[in-house]
Amino acid sequence: MKPLFAVTRAGREPLAVARFLGLVLLGAVIGAVAALVAVGFVAAVLGLNDLLLISPRSRMMFDHPSLLLVITVAVPTLGGLAVGLVHLAIPERRPHTPADAIAAVQTRRGRLPLRAGGLSALSALISLGAGASVGQYGPLVHLGATLGSLGARLLRLGRSEDNVTIACGVAAAIATAFNAPLAGIVFAHEVVLRHYALRAFAPVAAAALVGHVIAANVLQRGALFHVAETAVPRPWEFIAFLAIGGLGALVAGGYMSTLLGVTRLARRLARRLPLAAPLRPALAGALLGLTALWVPDILGMGQETLRFATIAGAFDSAELLLVLVLKIAATGLCLGMGFGGGVFSPALVIGTLFGALCGTLVGQLSGAPQETFVFYAVCGMVAVTAPVIGAPLTSLLIVFELTGSYALTTAALASVTLASPIAAQLFGRSLFDIQLVERGLDLSAGRGRAMLRGTPVMEHLTDEGVTLRPQTPVDEAVTALCRARHGEGYLVDAEGRYRGCVSLADLEAAREATQQGMQNAPPGDSGATQRVGEIAPLARPVLAPDASLWDAMAALEDVIGEALPVVDAEGAFLGVVFESSITRAYLAHGDELRREEHGTG
Amino acid sequence: MEQDERGLARSREPAHLLWLALFATAPVTAGDDALVVLSWGGAYERAQQAALFAPYTAATGRQVSVQQYDGGLEGLRRAVASGEVPWDLIDMTRSQAMAACDEGLLEPVSPALLAPAPDGTPAEADFLPGSFGRCAITHSIFATVVAYRTDAFPGRRPTRIGDLFDQRRFPGPRALQDTPAVNLEWALLSYRVPREELYRLLSTRRGLDLALERLDALDEIHWWQAGDTPPRLLAEGEVVMASGYNGRFFDAMVNRGAPIEILWDGQVQEHETWAIPRGGPHPEAAREFLRFATDTERLADLARHIPYGPARRSATVQVTTHPESGVDMRLHIPTHPLNAERAMTKDETWYARTRSRIQALFRDWRARRESQ
Repeated sequence: MKPLFAVTRAGREPLAVARFLGLVLLGAVIGAVAALVAVGFVAAVLGLNDLLLISPRSRMMFDHPSLLLVITVAVPTLGGLAVGLVHLAIPERRPHTPADAIAAVQTRRGRLPLRAGGLSALSALISLGAGASVGQYGPLVHLGATLGSLGARLLRLGRSEDNVTIACGVAAAIATAFNAPLAGIVFAHEVVLRHYALRAFAPVAAAALVGHVIAANVLQRGALFHVAETAVPRPWEFIAFLAIGGLGALVAGGYMSTLLGVTRLARRLARRLPLAAPLRPALAGALLGLTALWVPDILGMGQETLRFATIAGAFDSAELLLVLVLKIAATGLCLGMGFGGGVFSPALVIGTLFGALCGTLVGQLSGAPQETFVFYAVCGMVAVTAPVIGAPLTSLLIVFELTGSYALTTAALASVTLASPIAAQLFGRSLFDIQLVERGLDLSAGRGRAMLRGTPVMEHLTDEGVTLRPQTPVDEAVTALCRARHGEGYLVDAEGRYRGCVSLADLEAAREATQQGMQNAPPGDSGATQRVGEIAPLARPVLAPDASLWDAMAALEDVIGEALPVVDAEGAFLGVVFESSITRAYLAHGDELRREEHGTG
Repeated sequence: MEQDERGLARSREPAHLLWLALFATAPVTAGDDALVVLSWGGAYERAQQAALFAPYTAATGRQVSVQQYDGGLEGLRRAVASGEVPWDLIDMTRSQAMAACDEGLLEPVSPALLAPAPDGTPAEADFLPGSFGRCAITHSIFATVVAYRTDAFPGRRPTRIGDLFDQRRFPGPRALQDTPAVNLEWALLSYRVPREELYRLLSTRRGLDLALERLDALDEIHWWQAGDTPPRLLAEGEVVMASGYNGRFFDAMVNRGAPIEILWDGQVQEHETWAIPRGGPHPEAAREFLRFATDTERLADLARHIPYGPARRSATVQVTTHPESGVDMRLHIPTHPLNAERAMTKDETWYARTRSRIQALFRDWRARRESQ
């Protein structure tokens, strides 16, 4: 076993330096691969949207109105069916999302499965291509993470490096998709790694940079927002931006609750209705298509809707509210019923519509000219997206890198200041974290606890503990414990059931009491020989076989003793876990995390 | 739009159609080995004569005979159907070339045919994006722009296409072309949407409504049809801002001294191409001419005579002065980096599929506006 507290100066050895530079280089390579894949993915989605008459441009250019109606319903329906069939090939029967990447990093499991990752990307591609109301950034992030993990596995690197390469893939995906390298770097740290160690920073930055260079030369798109250079918000408007933040947190909460609620409802319905799993997304697609005949804005990622929402007067208040509510419902329907895809793009649209609604209302109340309308739209966007992905800094950086406007970023800062903490208090750190809690992984107390929770105590099980039959005479028990140099013995009956725990001190006391009694008793009375089972056992908590290291630590809080027995549901004794090994494992985990999160190389 | 893009170039007489019909039956008289080019006449043809045809004849000994093109496809259709195509090359707009290519009226041409730039840059990298069609190679780029009277707005001048719709800062009547094209684009651009998304946004009911709303807010619009009208309206002071072809405005400014200035922001570029008709008399010579007429030196020289942007980047930077007036032509061509910064290209494919519906929408709007 490695010494725990040895001072490591590995970072200064030439080999370690080379190893670290190698990791940076690997980050750049992963960045390039992830960026190219992201570019291809985005292009494929746009191509499918044109081909399947989802994009407004292709719909406009298609001059058969009645056929277009049929296609509008048929494409999402058949797309849903295809997605449902793809999901049958994934072990969990659902697409993997950024939440899976976060879980892999936070529990230091790493090793994202390539097949499930590829199938999830395919599912998202079909969903987005067929016009489902889902996002593209989540799938890109997960695909980047999968490629990063693949890189680490191909080079046979450890879990720690695996985590860093996952973050590299994530950073490159965001840097490419938004053409925002800083946002990519911060997202990987803020959402995936959740620490800011220099050791991870350099490879992640290299990946994001390469992604940015590739994106800047391949993807040429307009920035998400445009601001008139002259417009500067008046001081009182910052109060409005703060208020948008507070209210935006509630909108984000409503959005997340809708997603989770529909998911639960669909699961419950699935038990009652004889609806095969692949038909569920198809049903959602049909409903979506029918609604889109009335309000086409809810189809697809909604980039045109997003743009119009930043223009004062493009929607009136009633329309904004209608599209806002329908977009939340449509996204909940699509993701809850089993389409693959992200939650970020719809959140962008929902948030921007919400901000536009606030801007319109403020304009009506104050009668002021709407020069700063786009500020409201952007504030609403940030106030809704930051809580959903649990990334206030990333959201701000996206605004900054996409607009290059400092005024806009400070306005967004006002909104995020309230939105993120309020949403975190009311709902949870992010939608990903809430989903993980539902799957049994609670990250709210940091990854230290999550990792301890993820480590089964059985890893430290030993049979070195002294077991005693209840019928064993106290004398023999004392001898056995002394030989084994242990202070405690565990009573196990003939059926192998755990009967309690006795300490050497109690046994000794009992023996002395017996000897004194024997001196007073008439000689030859051997019937008085005391058995171990007659001694009052120690109050000692037992551990279940599936208990985690975290449970063991919690149990130890009330215990002064040597070890905890592990007993299964039938009461059978499986062995013991020594307190020293629990403590050692706890310290080792903590030390690994410290090295990973604060190390420089 | 098809009718008069040539700006400087053409006198418009219905006789052209007659000419075409005539040429389709009566072959050329300029000697059997002369190259027959269909082009636009007027100052445009004079520029081509000086910059392309004369040097070509000097280099190869082969004569060039020019005939007048009416801008349509009817003559070409008939000629190809009859099996007797009298022309070797046609100077046509990219949208017409795309349509003709789809109908199988043109020979395919490959970019591999083209000469590299003087510094060795291959043609693929030197030509502007979108220059290579299946059957046509762009040689020049002309633009629809806004021009304004320099004396109309004391102390300020329009700098963005949105200023066309800003009647508070730039009051006065406007002249706009009586088509939806370009007007809808500019109206939506005035909301500061990115150029890349323009046609996607115009594809929605909301985008079209926003654009028409912008146009509707203008108090007084003179609608023009012929390309020589907007420079005249500006020169006479009938309007203070007008849309029009950059060649026409150049002519009014430089040759006739009108007090007008071009606003390059939001200029809508269109491509002028060389195409080889199917079954022409000298296909090999036609390719040879195409290579000659699109090399860097020829394109730069052509842009000295007429303010159209060369399709090659290497030629754009070599453009010098107008041979007669000595005006620096770089400031007048649409593709010069200073002018092209916020240029946009008309989406021909979009218009090909939507023209009738967009035109109906525009007509309805104009009828509503007039009835108010």
